[in-house]
Amino acid sequence: MNNDSILRVEGLITEFSTDHGLVKAVDGVSFELHRGETLGLVGESGSGKSVTNLSILRLIQSPPGRIAGGKVLFDGHDLVKATEEEVRVLRGKNISMIFQDPLTSLNPVLRISLQISEALQLHHGLGRKEAKAKAIEMLRLIGIPDPERRADDYPHQFSGGMRQRVMIAMALSCKPEILIADEPTTALDVTIQAQILDLIKSLSAKDQTAVIMITHDLGVVAGMCDYICVMYAGRIVEKAAVDDLFYEPKHPYTRGLLDSIPRTDRTGPQRLYSIPGAPPSLYDMPEACPFNPRCAHAMDICRRAYPPEVEMHGSSPRTVSCWLHAREGNA
Amino acid sequence: MKSNSLTRNSIVMTGLAIIGVYIAIMVVSTFWLPFDPISMDTDHILEAPSLATGHLFGTDEFGRDILSRIMKGSTISLIISVAATLLGTLVGTFMGVWAGYLGGRWDNVLMRIADVLFSFPSLLLAIFVMAILGEKTFNVVIAIGIVYIPQFARISRGAILTIKSSEFIKAAKSNGASSGFILRKHLLPNILVPLIVQVSLSLSVAILLESSLSFLGLGVQPPAPSWGNMLSGARKVMVLAPWTAIYPGIAIVLLVLGFNLLGDGLRDILDPRLRNVR
Amino acid sequence: MFRYIVKRLLSLIPVLFGVSIIVFFLVRLIPGSALEMYMGTQVEATPEQMIELQRIFGEDKPVPVLYVEWLGRILQGDFGYSLRTGRPVLPDILSRLPLSLELTILSLALALLIGIPQGILSSLKRNPFSDVINRVIGLLGLSLPQFWLASLMVLAFANFSGWIPMGNYIKFSVDPIRNLRMLLLPSLAIGIGLAAVIMRYTRNSMLEVLQMDYIRTAKAKGLTKRVVILRHALKNAILPVITVAGFNTGYLLGGAIVIEEVFALPGMGRLALYAIYQRDYPVIQAIVLMIATIFVLVNLVTDLIYAMVDPRIRLDDGGR
Repeated sequence: MNNDSILRVEGLITEFSTDHGLVKAVDGVSFELHRGETLGLVGESGSGKSVTNLSILRLIQSPPGRIAGGKVLFDGHDLVKATEEEVRVLRGKNISMIFQDPLTSLNPVLRISLQISEALQLHHGLGRKEAKAKAIEMLRLIGIPDPERRADDYPHQFSGGMRQRVMIAMALSCKPEILIADEPTTALDVTIQAQILDLIKSLSAKDQTAVIMITHDLGVVAGMCDYICVMYAGRIVEKAAVDDLFYEPKHPYTRGLLDSIPRTDRTGPQRLYSIPGAPPSLYDMPEACPFNPRCAHAMDICRRAYPPEVEMHGSSPRTVSCWLHAREGNA
Repeated sequence: MKSNSLTRNSIVMTGLAIIGVYIAIMVVSTFWLPFDPISMDTDHILEAPSLATGHLFGTDEFGRDILSRIMKGSTISLIISVAATLLGTLVGTFMGVWAGYLGGRWDNVLMRIADVLFSFPSLLLAIFVMAILGEKTFNVVIAIGIVYIPQFARISRGAILTIKSSEFIKAAKSNGASSGFILRKHLLPNILVPLIVQVSLSLSVAILLESSLSFLGLGVQPPAPSWGNMLSGARKVMVLAPWTAIYPGIAIVLLVLGFNLLGDGLRDILDPRLRNVR
Repeated sequence: MFRYIVKRLLSLIPVLFGVSIIVFFLVRLIPGSALEMYMGTQVEATPEQMIELQRIFGEDKPVPVLYVEWLGRILQGDFGYSLRTGRPVLPDILSRLPLSLELTILSLALALLIGIPQGILSSLKRNPFSDVINRVIGLLGLSLPQFWLASLMVLAFANFSGWIPMGNYIKFSVDPIRNLRMLLLPSLAIGIGLAAVIMRYTRNSMLEVLQMDYIRTAKAKGLTKRVVILRHALKNAILPVITVAGFNTGYLLGGAIVIEEVFALPGMGRLALYAIYQRDYPVIQAIVLMIATIFVLVNLVTDLIYAMVDPRIRLDDGGR
C-alpha cells in the first residue's frame, strides 16, 4: 500500500453552544489518511465521529457550531483556515461525502439525473448532454437496471438501497481523492448492507479513492477497513491497523466493544456482554479519562488527568490513549 | 432559546397593549368626548389639526371633530367585530364539532355547506349578505359572522377528528361515558388552542371587513361614525384636507395590527407544532 | 394524474350547485323587491298591468320553480335582463370582466414578485432581530385596509394623472403601456397584503427547507450558494407558497371590488356594488355567481398546479 498521506487532521476541536453550555463534540482529534486506504472511524452515537467528518468539509452549521482549533491539512492547505470559497471548490470534486439516510439526503423534487450531473457540470465542466450521458453511465455502473429511463425518475421512485447507490454514484462521479461515508448502511436492511459496502469497495478500489468509513458497527469495519480509529466522547482512544485492533485490542473500551459482539463460534450458552454504564454527557467534561467510570481497570490517575496518546510498537503504526499503556512505548 | 421566548412574549404583550389602549378609549368615550361626534358645525368645516382649536385631528366636511369621531368609532368597531366573531365562533364550532364527532352523512352535509360558504370571497359574501338583510348596523354583525362560520367549522372539525381516534377517547367510551360527557370533558379542551388563535386573528379581519363595508356604504350608516364611513366621506375632500383620510385609517391599521400581533404571538406560544423554524 | 383532475372537477359540481342555490334564494330575500321599487316610481297600474308586471318581475310562480327555470336559463347563457337598464345582463358583465380579471391577475403577480424574493432574502439572515422585524412587517401588511391604501395613493399621486385612473380607463387592447401604468397602483393597493403573507410564508418555508438533509448533500457536492438556494431549496420551499397564493385570491377578488370603487374603474365589482345599491337583482345574481365560480375554479387550479409541481404527487399513480 502506498504511503502517501493525502489528509492529515491535527488536534481538531469542534464545539457547539447549546442552551446548557458549550459542548466539545470533537476534542483534539488527530489522524492521517493515505491514498487508496480505507480508514474506519468507529464509535457510539455521540462519540463525535460524524462531527469530525462534517468539520473536515466545513459543513458544520455555524451558529451554533464552530471549529475552535486544530488543522485539517489537504493538498498543502489547512481547510480550517481556508475561506468558504476555497473549501467549496474541493467539495464534491476532491473530497466527497455520502450520508446516512438516502431518503432525506436526496432532493425530492429534482430528477436523479440532474442530481448526478450537476456535480459533473460544475467540477468537470461538462455540458448538459454530456453530463447526463455520464450520469446514465454511472447509474449502470452501480447496478440500476434500465438506466436511460430511470435517470429521469425522482428519488421517491427508487427503493432505499437503490437510493444509497445513487448517493454513491453522485459522490464518486467526479472521481474524488477522498470519499467520506457517514454510516452509509445504518438506515438500510441488513441484506442490502453488504451490497452497498461491496459497491463502495469496488468503486473506490478502481480509482484508488481513499475512504473514511464512519460507523458504529464493528462488523462493517472488519470487512472494509485497512486502518481503524476508535472514538469515545469526542476523542480518539485507539488507532491501529484492522488486524492489530481485532486480535490485540489495547484500550479497555475497544476490548469492551469487541467483547460485545455476539459470537457464533463458541459452543454452550453465553451471556451477551455489554459495557456497563453509558457514554458521558459532553457538558462540563472534567480533566480525566472520559471512559474511567465504566472501565474495569480504572486507576487513580485515570480520574485526575487525560491519558496522553502513546505510540505502540508493532509492525504497523498504532497508538492508544490509556494510562495502562502510558509507560510502554514513547509518550 | 431564551431570547426567542422573550420575543414571543413581547409580541403578545405589544398586541395586548395596543388593544388595551383601544378598549380604554372605548370606555372613556362612553362618558366623555372632546367634542360632539355627530352634530354638524358648519362654521368649522375642514379645519386643519391644531392644538389651539382643540381639534387635534382636525375637522371633517361637516365640521365634526375627527378625534371624537375616531374615539366613538372605536366603540362601534370593537363591538361589531367581537359580536361577529362570537357569532361565527359559536355557530361554526358547533357545526364543526358535531360534524367531526358524528361523522358520516352529517359530516358530509355540514361540510358541504361550509364548502359552499367558503367558495365566496370573504368581502363579497359580506357585501352580499348586507345587500339581502339591509344596511343596518346590526346586520353587519350577522354578515361578518356568516363569513367566519366555515373557518371555525373546519378548525373545530379538524381538531375533533385528530382526537377522535386517539386512545383516551376509546378508553373513555369503553368505560361507558356518554357522548355529551366526552365532548365536554375531553374534546373541547383540546380544540381550545387552535380556536383561541383563530379568534384573535378573526377579530382583526372583522375590523377590516366592517370598515370595508362601511366604506362602501353597506355597513355602519352615517352619521354614526365608523372609521370606514369616515374614510368614505373623506374621499371627496381629502385632497384639500388630507387629515380627514389619514387619521381614521391609522386608527384601523393600529387596532388590526394589535389583534394580528396577539393572534400570531399566541399561535407561537400555544402551539409549538405550528411554530416554524425561526 | 388525469383521473385526479377529473375527480376534482366532479367534486366541484355539488359545490357550484350549492352556490347557485344560495345566490338565487338569498337574493329573493332582499327586502324591497324590485317590483315594489318600480311601482314606487309609477303612478298607477291596472290589475291587468299588475299581472303582467308580476310576470315580468317573476313574482307569479312558487320560488323553487323559479329557481329551476332560472338555473336552466343560466346554463344556456341567459342571465336575464337588468331591472335598471333593461339590457341583457350577461354582455354587460362580460364587457367588464376583463378589467376585473386584469386587476386580480396584476395584483397576484405583484404580490408574488414582491413577496417571494423578499421572503428568500430575509430567510438568509437568521438572527432574532431580523426575525422579529420580518414578522411585524408581515403582520403590518395584513393590517392595511386596501381601500385606505388606495385613497392614500389617490392623495399622493393626485397630480400624476398618468398613474391614477380616475374614470379615464384605457383598455389593454387599446394601449397596453398606459393601461398597465394606470392599473399598477390599484393592483398594488389590492396586492400588498398578500405580498406580506407570501413573504412570510416563503421565509418560513425556506428556513425549514434549508435545514433539510438534502441541502447538506447539495453543499457537500460543492455547489455554489446561489445554486443551492435557487435550484435545491426554492423548488421545495415554493410548494406551500403556491397553495397560499391560490387560496388567497379570494382576498384579491374582494379587494378588486373596493378598489374599483375608489378609482372609479368600470369593472365587474363596481357594477355589482351599484346593482346592490339599486336592488338590480338579476345583475347581482349573475355577478356573485360568476365571482364565486371563478374563485372555486381558481382553488381547483391551485390544487392542480401543486399536484403538477410536486413530483411525488404527480407520479403517484404511475409510480413503480
